[in-house]
Amino acid sequence: MDFSLQPDTPEISAFRKEVRDWLAENMRGAEHLRWSGIWSTRENDEEYKFRRQLATKLGKRGWLFPTYPVKYGGAGLSLDHQFVLETEIDRYGLPLGSVFYTLARLVAPAVLKFGTEEQKIEFLPPMMRGELAVWQVLTEPQGGSDLANCQTKAIRDGDHYVVNGQKIMVGHHLPPDFLWTIVCTNPAGKRHENLGWLYIPANLPGITIQHLHLMMGIKNAVFFDNVRVPAKYLVGGENNGWKVANSYLELEHGGGGSVTENPLFKRLVEHCQKTEFDGESLMEDQDVRDEIADLLIDLDVQRLMGLRNFWHRYVRDPHPYGGAQFIYFQRMVRLRNSERVQRILGYDALVPDGSVHEVADFEYTVRSGPGWLHGGGTLDTDRLIIARRLGLGRPSQESAPTTVE
Amino acid sequence: MDLKLAEDQSMMKKVAADFLKAEAPPYVITDWFQKKVAFLPELYKKTAEVGWLGMMLPEEYGGAGTTCTDCAVVFEELGRGPLPGPYFSSGVLAAEIILAGGSQAQKKTLLPEICRGRAIVIPAISDDPIQWGPRSVQTRLSKIAAGFKLTGTKRFVYDGEAATSFICAARAESGGIVLALVDRNAPGVSVKPISGFMIGAAEVRFDNVAVIADNFVGDWVIVERALTKALPILCAFKVGACQEIFEMTNEYTRTRVVFGQPIGRFQRVQDHCVDISIHLDGARWITYETLWKIDSGIEAAANVHQAKAVASEAYYQSCNFSHMVFAGPGTDYKHPLMAHSVLAHSLYQYLGTPLYHKRAMVDALYPRKAEKAG
Repeated sequence: MDFSLQPDTPEISAFRKEVRDWLAENMRGAEHLRWSGIWSTRENDEEYKFRRQLATKLGKRGWLFPTYPVKYGGAGLSLDHQFVLETEIDRYGLPLGSVFYTLARLVAPAVLKFGTEEQKIEFLPPMMRGELAVWQVLTEPQGGSDLANCQTKAIRDGDHYVVNGQKIMVGHHLPPDFLWTIVCTNPAGKRHENLGWLYIPANLPGITIQHLHLMMGIKNAVFFDNVRVPAKYLVGGENNGWKVANSYLELEHGGGGSVTENPLFKRLVEHCQKTEFDGESLMEDQDVRDEIADLLIDLDVQRLMGLRNFWHRYVRDPHPYGGAQFIYFQRMVRLRNSERVQRILGYDALVPDGSVHEVADFEYTVRSGPGWLHGGGTLDTDRLIIARRLGLGRPSQESAPTTVE
Repeated sequence: MDLKLAEDQSMMKKVAADFLKAEAPPYVITDWFQKKVAFLPELYKKTAEVGWLGMMLPEEYGGAGTTCTDCAVVFEELGRGPLPGPYFSSGVLAAEIILAGGSQAQKKTLLPEICRGRAIVIPAISDDPIQWGPRSVQTRLSKIAAGFKLTGTKRFVYDGEAATSFICAARAESGGIVLALVDRNAPGVSVKPISGFMIGAAEVRFDNVAVIADNFVGDWVIVERALTKALPILCAFKVGACQEIFEMTNEYTRTRVVFGQPIGRFQRVQDHCVDISIHLDGARWITYETLWKIDSGIEAAANVHQAKAVASEAYYQSCNFSHMVFAGPGTDYKHPLMAHSVLAHSLYQYLGTPLYHKRAMVDALYPRKAEKAG
């Protein structure tokens, strides 16, 4: 076995140097900024602008989607190059997958797998170049976990689909360019056979977006009122939406894996080393050390589950239950870390602390513990998926859908 | 990055699995546990012939010079049994202690005998039922005219029953720790098997046992050095045990029918299997990453403590979650789960509890002020 992230070939080392120099140059001027996570909890315009510009610059080089074909806006590089990019940008506390708040990293693979050649040529390049903010628009007021029970209707009318309905808890604090949306294309059809995916330009008449102020920041309700969407925006074919959903969601639900480390551990240790009580640093306190031990173990297990999933994707052998297991474990770890941080910091844990990265911001860690129990599906849905993939109580095991690159 | 086993490791794994299937299938092992048979000399000899005892040792001492990961692959299969016996305590831990701290003469005479299964050397380190680490060594080594004598009682020596000799950790008059090789039949040594919710442990008394300096094999540093290589092997054994529990529990959810459906259709039951999967996979990947670090010469002191804490906890908790699924039948000593349940409790304590190793992990990463000074 070999757990080292990549071979140290001259080519890769040279690429690492190139990326490092490029980032040093292009990250200049951002030293005072604080990053929000995958959606904004800061609503800081300066931060947002910087991140969008950075994404465009990365996108121009194909570095947002390094392994994708050049003709679709990728860089046609190897996975080893992607490692380099992911780990180097991680040094600045930013994730390559969402340099700014767009879910293109989930949508692009689905378009690549299920789109027609015309759709790929038209939709992918601007998305991959980081020019668009794409929202994932799935949840409805009546159906969270039960995605197949989609009530938003898209009825074919000549060259258009007419969309009516409402989505909720999506997006971030600034307007989107496109909405990646699951819709019901045949209200009379059978469950799982009546769905479709639309890639909807957000500026079409009849779309209204309203802010929702939630535990973890701003999200939105999106209303569709007789929105006429040209039929070319249907991806994956009419009534074939469930197939798209399965493959697509595997990626959202951890099947893609991860290679970066959670910065929380280092930040917490640093805090404990610097903070004194009664003349002694918190790091000398056995209770604090015990909390830190448990936190480190949880984060290491989480890191290794992510690495395992990444490797399974890398060798194109999807892990049967690894995706859902990773997400479920991560949710539980976030909750436990929320408690740990409070036990160590007391009241300070409830005040934003001026750190650079949201994941290592103690107040956010506390707030997002309960908040992340359901983002992108509830923990109970995760467990259900694991159980099916293990074939518990069933004669056969469901296999994991292949994720797409 | 490559997270699959190498081809020859997969072969070793298969050989071990086939061996167990032929020599020690689950119903046989279950029977041994029920009768508290912790050591089968004939089977032990056979494993020596396959080359599993001392396999990490250099060839000149009778070993096969394998990597830690190679050895772990075999022990993972033994853990699936779970095979009771001093395979680890003598074949790995004692072998590594002697390799690290023994004189050339000790290595030449003793190590090949360990590999052949004729010498079963059992480390008797802690005197205490719960403590581990240097503080747990209380047996006294005092100077006498003809050499030294050992006095003390090791309350729980895992695999103690099977020993032909012991590596006894004792505190010298200077306060330092000395490891001494002691023949089981030496005057003053008594071995009393312990019965209880455990297997293979014995109380070993050293009552004015005479030893000479030629029998010394080092100090606490040697114990730690040996443990760095040995503990991850023990962790792999526990990973194999968790894997077996995981599979047997999942299978039961398909075949056991209540209220007109297989119990695996109940989400409460599913949750227990999900929890086992997390303990199993956490232990597996922490263990194998640690093994990779050791084989690659990367600093792994904290990782070894982490692996020991995680794997012990995983084995213990996997048994508990499995008990939730198997309910009554799983508490019958004739059920394979009981062998695991008994062993998981013993191994939870063996060579330090999870709490001890979690603290040691943090201490290795961030030494305390006092330790820094000292």
